[in-house]
Amino acid sequence: MANTELERHLRMSLWVAKEILPHESRIRGWFRRNRISPEDTDELLQEAYCRLATIDAFEAIASPPAYFFSIARNLLAKKLRRPQVVSIESFSEIDSTIQFDNDDMEDAAHLRHASAKLRGLIAGLPDRCRRIVELRKIEGWSQKEIASHLGITEKAVEKQVWLGVRAIREAWERKARPGNMAAERLERVVP
Amino acid sequence: MSMAFENSDDAVAYWVARIDAGDLTPEETARWQMWLDEDPSHRGKLLRTQAIWMSLSQTEDQAAPEDEAPVRAPLWQRRSFLGGAAAAGLAAVGGAYFLLDRDQTFSTRKGEVRRVPLIDGSAMTMNSDTGVSVRMERNRRMVSLARGEAWFEVAKDPARPFVVNAGNMVTRAVGTAFSVRRHENAVEVMVTEGVVETWSPDRADQRLRLKAGQRVVATDSAIIHYRPSQSEQVERALAWRTGEIDLAGNTLADAAEEFNRYNTRQLLIADPEISGEQIAGVFRMNDPMGFAEAVKASLDLKVDISDPTVIRLERKTR
Repeated sequence: MANTELERHLRMSLWVAKEILPHESRIRGWFRRNRISPEDTDELLQEAYCRLATIDAFEAIASPPAYFFSIARNLLAKKLRRPQVVSIESFSEIDSTIQFDNDDMEDAAHLRHASAKLRGLIAGLPDRCRRIVELRKIEGWSQKEIASHLGITEKAVEKQVWLGVRAIREAWERKARPGNMAAERLERVVP
Repeated sequence: MSMAFENSDDAVAYWVARIDAGDLTPEETARWQMWLDEDPSHRGKLLRTQAIWMSLSQTEDQAAPEDEAPVRAPLWQRRSFLGGAAAAGLAAVGGAYFLLDRDQTFSTRKGEVRRVPLIDGSAMTMNSDTGVSVRMERNRRMVSLARGEAWFEVAKDPARPFVVNAGNMVTRAVGTAFSVRRHENAVEVMVTEGVVETWSPDRADQRLRLKAGQRVVATDSAIIHYRPSQSEQVERALAWRTGEIDLAGNTLADAAEEFNRYNTRQLLIADPEISGEQIAGVFRMNDPMGFAEAVKASLDLKVDISDPTVIRLERKTR
């Protein structure tokens, strides 16, 4: 049963990587246009991923990005109904949907674009970490193979992967907010 | 043992790296699952981070766990590899373990109605143009309805609930009989026996219990219309199981739509004035011509069959 759960997690992650992640920036764009703060957007998307994670038949979802978007939007509606942030009227003014093209070519383009963006992030990693992430993700070596190749322990490799995962996720999130150039610069100045 | 991380993001990255090593021990897997259950946000964060990590190596099929399940529709387009009965028979002869935890897919063509025995002793009757995948897990029985309609007779097994996912609806039963149908923008659940529980994944806390003879329709906007109905009506709506269409005062337009689900030769109501006429009777689903003849007589219509793909119904010009 445990392995099934793990296998399912991997399958679903791959599905998210292909079907949803490439559209994240467009979905963020919609929230931005409707004046939802980046912090609130992060929170909403994060919660939408939580909802998504509980869906058993995810592979049967016809248009994953549209489905994901509708979860996020429902969460927003729920949030706005509480006496917080924005009034209900402003929500009714929000135009209702983004067009998600069913065109495979379009999707493939988004996917390539997102992948390229992510690969670009590898270059920004600290040297040792970058080397290991490159071997793992670009050369496709296993952590074990990397360990014996570099003559270090597997735990050491795993530690670098851990750092890599963290840094890439943070970089992806920073990139996801084009309005945050100032903040990015500030971070570079302050060590 | 507990891991000390400054924040949950660090713990998330730890598990991605750990899973990436590909050698989780059973104890670690158990620990991983405990961590997942610790906080509802963990699953979402892990899912997203894992996906980001996987995207890095996505040169098409790399990074896929051994047998990657279908990500999109194509599987449905393939006819099921074996008749359902044969598949179930095979499974019974010792392949049972092999089939556990593996998706089986079944599909029917337009006009085809098929009864498929499932490995757990349940049976599913698939309506025309339907796609279903079935997955038997140790603690639950999972069915996804990708399109169409199916009626399930569920074998009792309290330890393994029988769960059907369709669009925005989840329906769960222990031992009972019910049908699930996907419409263009809605999902319909009808219960013929026992009790089922149904909900939308968006609102898992709002569950609806349905008893025999009741039905519910959920639209994509997640609004649930609750329509108590006579069990007789439910039985009638499920007449397709025996190859029949049972009409009791349905409109001509509805009836035509129903026939068109099963037949390539389409009924066309050319005259909007007659589309609201009410029809009653039991008809063979694969005989639209017989239906046309019957209504021709009772509603005094003209039937035009000059086009081999269409049966055209209109009012007689006097």
